[in-house]
Amino acid sequence: MSIKGTVISQVEEVRRNSGKPLRPLTNDLVLLESGLDSLGLAVLVTRLEDILGYDPFTDSDITVPPVTLGDFIHLYEVAGKSHYVDNGHTE
Amino acid sequence: MRNVIVTGGSRGLGLEVARKLAAEGYRAVAVARNMNDELASVIEQAERSRPGSLCFVPFDLACVETIPELVRNLCKQFGTIYGLVNNAALGLDGALGTMPNSDIERLIRLNTLSPIVLTKYVVRRMMSDGGGRIVNIASITAFTGYSGLSVYAATKSSMIGFTRSLAREVGRLGINANAVAPGFMNTVMTRGMDEEQREKIARRSALRRFPALEEVADAVEFLLGDKSKSVTGTVLTVDAGTTA
Ligand SMILES: NC(=O)c1ccc[n+]([C@@H]2O[C@H](COP(=O)([O-])OP(=O)(O)OC[C@H]3O[C@@H](n4cnc5c(N)ncnc54)[C@H](OP(=O)(O)O)[C@@H]3O)[C@@H](O)[C@H]2O)c1
Repeated sequence: MSIKGTVISQVEEVRRNSGKPLRPLTNDLVLLESGLDSLGLAVLVTRLEDILGYDPFTDSDITVPPVTLGDFIHLYEVAGKSHYVDNGHTE
Repeated sequence: MRNVIVTGGSRGLGLEVARKLAAEGYRAVAVARNMNDELASVIEQAERSRPGSLCFVPFDLACVETIPELVRNLCKQFGTIYGLVNNAALGLDGALGTMPNSDIERLIRLNTLSPIVLTKYVVRRMMSDGGGRIVNIASITAFTGYSGLSVYAATKSSMIGFTRSLAREVGRLGINANAVAPGFMNTVMTRGMDEEQREKIARRSALRRFPALEEVADAVEFLLGDKSKSVTGTVLTVDAGTTA
């Protein structure tokens, strides 16, 4: 699965437990309005680290936190490139 | 087996906690910089009664930058983390007016920054796994002043503030966070005290003695066990009545 596909499927899974009405996942959806609160986000980041093998919030110096789902996915895609290069993988 | 990480589990209180947890059916993972004879013999005993119940992972917790990697490796090696006991600490004393800034920094790094960062990475795992227990080792110096211990006391009271707010933050995810505040105990940390100082402190306590390491370890075990499910955000003082 692509990085984007992985992120979206995990967002779906984590927010399913939130009990809040769920908006459709679009690139411009504001993360904190997606049904994920700050704890949900922490769970999401941990699950993605298990699946993808990296955590962009720890491995790089992010000064501006992502606001939208699109920003969040982009962060994983960018970090994914350097992770695969650092680990000698080719895409 | 429930995995519990015990920082500073190589001697003193941490080793006693690790030994007790291993005997009570947990797998205790002691994290400290160096192996020593006492730890080796406790591991050997634990190995004989229940293989894998006490493991040692060498790591310098002052290297805060590599804590995420430590947690990643611990999870890989042992699986789900049920409990974390933040016990490792430095006990430097000295008048604040003359204490080198480097010592102040070392104290705050190991006693405050490191456990907070370690908890961050462990608690994320616990959230994702649906629960867990955090026990932070504070000290009665967080409540009562002792000349020469201002910086150490600041780090220990910071663990209490941290515990209370963390308990609120993670409670609904099934994670309990508590602190234990021991009184003075006979360990390497207090070996600089002379007999007279020891006697003075013991005399001032309600029970006229220091708490034994085992008694403090019992309190830690209680906070990890099923009997303390409804206890969170609190401080359990085990000081033989020194602060009574
Ligand atoms: N002793 C007392 O009277 C007393 C009273 C109240 C509260 N406390 C608290 O109780 C806890 C345990 O104290 P203790 O008396 O058992 O201390 P201790 O005998 O000095 O043991 C400290 C432990 O921490 C480890 N440690 C030290 N620096 C470390 C580092 N950079 N990285 C990893 N591990 C490190 C040590 O192992 P290595 O050196 O091998 O790394 C050792 O296992 C502390 O939180 C202390 O503040 C103690």
